[in-house]
Amino acid sequence: MRFLAFLVRRIIGIAAVMIGVSVVTFAISHVVPADPVVAALGDHATDDQIAAFRAEYKLDRPLPEQYLTYVYGILHGDLGRSIRTRRSVADDLADSFPATLELSSAALLVSILVGVPAGVWSAISRGRAPDIVVRLLALAGGSIPVFWLGLIVIGLFYYQLGWFPGGGRIDAFVAPPPTRTGLYVVDSVLAGDFASLRSSLLHLVMPALTLGYFSTAVITRMTRSSMLEVLGQDYMRTARAKGLREPTIVLRHGLRNALIPTITIIGLTFGSLLSGAVLTETIFSWPGLGRYATASAVSLDFPAVLGVTLLAAVVYPIANLIVDVAYYWLDPRIQRG
Amino acid sequence: MSRQRAPILFVVALLVAAACTSATPTGGGTSTPQATGGAASTLVYYADVSDLISLDPAVAYEFSGVLLVHNAYETLVKFEGSDLSTIKPGVATSWEPKDAGSTWDITFKLKSGVKFASGNALTADDVVYSLQRVIKLNKSPAFLFTDIAGLKAESIKATDPSTVVVSMPKTSSPQGFLSILTFTVGGIVDSKEVKTHEAGADIGSGWLLDHSAGSGPYVIDHWTKNSEVLLKGNGNYGGTKPPLSGVLVKHVPESTNQQFALEKGDADVARNLSPQQISALQGKQGVGSTQGNSLLLVYVGMNATVKPLDNVNVREALRTAIDYDGIIKDLLKGNAKKVQGIVPAGLAGYNETTPFQADVNKAKALLQQAGQTSVNLELLVPTGQAPGGVAWADLAAKLQADWAKIGVTVTIKQTAQADLLTSYRAQKGQLVMILWGPDFPDPDANVGPFTDYGAKSIAFRNGWDDKSIAQKGRDAALITDTAKRASAYKDITEYVLHNGPYAILYQPTELFGLRSNVKGFAWNPMGWLDFAAITK
Repeated sequence: MRFLAFLVRRIIGIAAVMIGVSVVTFAISHVVPADPVVAALGDHATDDQIAAFRAEYKLDRPLPEQYLTYVYGILHGDLGRSIRTRRSVADDLADSFPATLELSSAALLVSILVGVPAGVWSAISRGRAPDIVVRLLALAGGSIPVFWLGLIVIGLFYYQLGWFPGGGRIDAFVAPPPTRTGLYVVDSVLAGDFASLRSSLLHLVMPALTLGYFSTAVITRMTRSSMLEVLGQDYMRTARAKGLREPTIVLRHGLRNALIPTITIIGLTFGSLLSGAVLTETIFSWPGLGRYATASAVSLDFPAVLGVTLLAAVVYPIANLIVDVAYYWLDPRIQRG
Repeated sequence: MSRQRAPILFVVALLVAAACTSATPTGGGTSTPQATGGAASTLVYYADVSDLISLDPAVAYEFSGVLLVHNAYETLVKFEGSDLSTIKPGVATSWEPKDAGSTWDITFKLKSGVKFASGNALTADDVVYSLQRVIKLNKSPAFLFTDIAGLKAESIKATDPSTVVVSMPKTSSPQGFLSILTFTVGGIVDSKEVKTHEAGADIGSGWLLDHSAGSGPYVIDHWTKNSEVLLKGNGNYGGTKPPLSGVLVKHVPESTNQQFALEKGDADVARNLSPQQISALQGKQGVGSTQGNSLLLVYVGMNATVKPLDNVNVREALRTAIDYDGIIKDLLKGNAKKVQGIVPAGLAGYNETTPFQADVNKAKALLQQAGQTSVNLELLVPTGQAPGGVAWADLAAKLQADWAKIGVTVTIKQTAQADLLTSYRAQKGQLVMILWGPDFPDPDANVGPFTDYGAKSIAFRNGWDDKSIAQKGRDAALITDTAKRASAYKDITEYVLHNGPYAILYQPTELFGLRSNVKGFAWNPMGWLDFAAITK
């Protein structure tokens, strides 16, 4: 019951955030001095064309009316039409969001699979060579700009070594899998199509590593520091005194306890992955939400910007919710408490 | 316990999946390659195509859209190669403008035996449907028909299955209209096919957004938004069969990535390389570059309603002080042509005179004549890269330095282009640096906007209301005798050169990175190329 109440509270919270976000974004996009219609129609448009476009998008109506029309649309599942692409924003988001979700999830997976073991290894070899190497790499991960790293990665692994393809989600001459989830890797597995699975995994490696480097560094450092703290605890000494094998001591007694703060960081990291995707997607020609958001913002396409913002306003709390649930499940004290 | 095992199982499953795939041999696989028969017979064209909105000829008005539509549709008349002065037959074999009293009537006789990709025959009904569709949809390029050519839907009629008559008001130029028809907006769609896809009042524009129904050498196979467009050969094309059975246009926004892909051989053409990247290609094996002309002009508009720019001598002084050669040689690495008139090289009516070049003494004397000793002005500049591959900000700094030499202090204000245009259109700029490209390949497409205040385009934005030159411009547009027309445009451009509110800085050149085996690549200054002429 307590869990249910917690869920309901969270969902009400998400709704409140969405209303707030829509009002603020709507207000900001309408006080910007430049005219989105001029941005869309360009230098050559006549005054008549501009007026017609304005009427078509109901931009000639008073602001409160525009907002209410917009909210009415959202409640009926209509996010409006993009000024730049002239398509339904919902369709645009449905096209680009799965690509970003796939990339961010892959990056997060890499961060966890690399970051946690690296943190543990660094902690148990404190002060020795492996620790120094891991800490240096983690320091670099926290400070190298994604854009620069992306170009270096492409230059090395695509241009010089030719190990991975240079960009995009799948090879141009491999048919993408039939769309079920929009995640090429998952869809390829579902369709049993190994050519597309292979191509989409290969295409995923460089962008996921680039995007995931920062979060790997954060997770490594967090795991290392909480591991160091745990290693000094009395129960660790007790475990050793009982004559347990070292891996059991470190993993069962140490890591499980050290993991709790790491989980929190992983949740927060997911948000930074989504925003880091903007640059990574540009470098790797990844047709995702980040690039859609940038292009929309530059052309003052506020229905699209609002759509992206609302989507983010849903995704972030959901990511945090998942973390909270994981937390609840990992730490028995929370369940009891 | 089972809950704790779930993530482990998930990871194991992923690892197994990965292991399975890495066991698949390179190039193998069960999926069929896409429609064109693979990389060897497909031109792979890397470009930033983020401007792509629609592939419908009645809607497309962006560079990427125009490039693709041009290769899927035929027009009544056309220009061949990169020539923009001689109208050649397209789907029409003849086009005779006749004085019909109150109107110009142009009678188009259609070629027989032309088929659409669907196999349907191309008839006069298709032409009428296509041209009327542009007017009824009223999207971005529609003003070319309605405002420039003065057409209404009922101005276009089929008199028999192979004859179309277009009636134009006497105030519009038949020559200008023929030039408009060579553009993608004049693309003929298969009316039978499109009608089966009409939804509501959209006249098929929802379907034509990412499908094609033309008679050009290629058809649109698919457009994956934000990723790629694939063209494949049209089996029913009546002309010479294109050597390459497919064209893949990949959306690659990052130019470094384009350069790498070109050098690796993954791309055959790289569209958005900077002059520096192009020079880096020199001497490398398997790659080269080529140039194309554009019809763009990069210019500074001087608002004639703002003091002291209302004084013609001040404007002449600003023009005289600029170091045009320095801009082209140093900033653009030679990637532009020195043009100072309002009609670009490549169009009829181009005036070769370039009287201005960094003459500080003369400029100072002109300021003195105008009674000005110290002038302070604001220069609006867009963000990003100017055509030709230089940052707008660098161009602005160069102008600032040149003008400082004659005692003119300029404050640079850089804003996003949309923001800049909003001010400019409302006559709120003082000095505004921006670019212009003609809407159709005819001098009138520049002379009208640059001279006619009433057209509410460039002359209006700069507050330059010179009724006599505007009238001369309108008259010149209507002249049908080519030689007389050219001489009228020479007079007009000469006058604007010294009296207008513009300093034309340069006409940029387009640069392309190409694989060495790519042949037949000829860029048309209107922003397209014939993929059907390319081999690799």
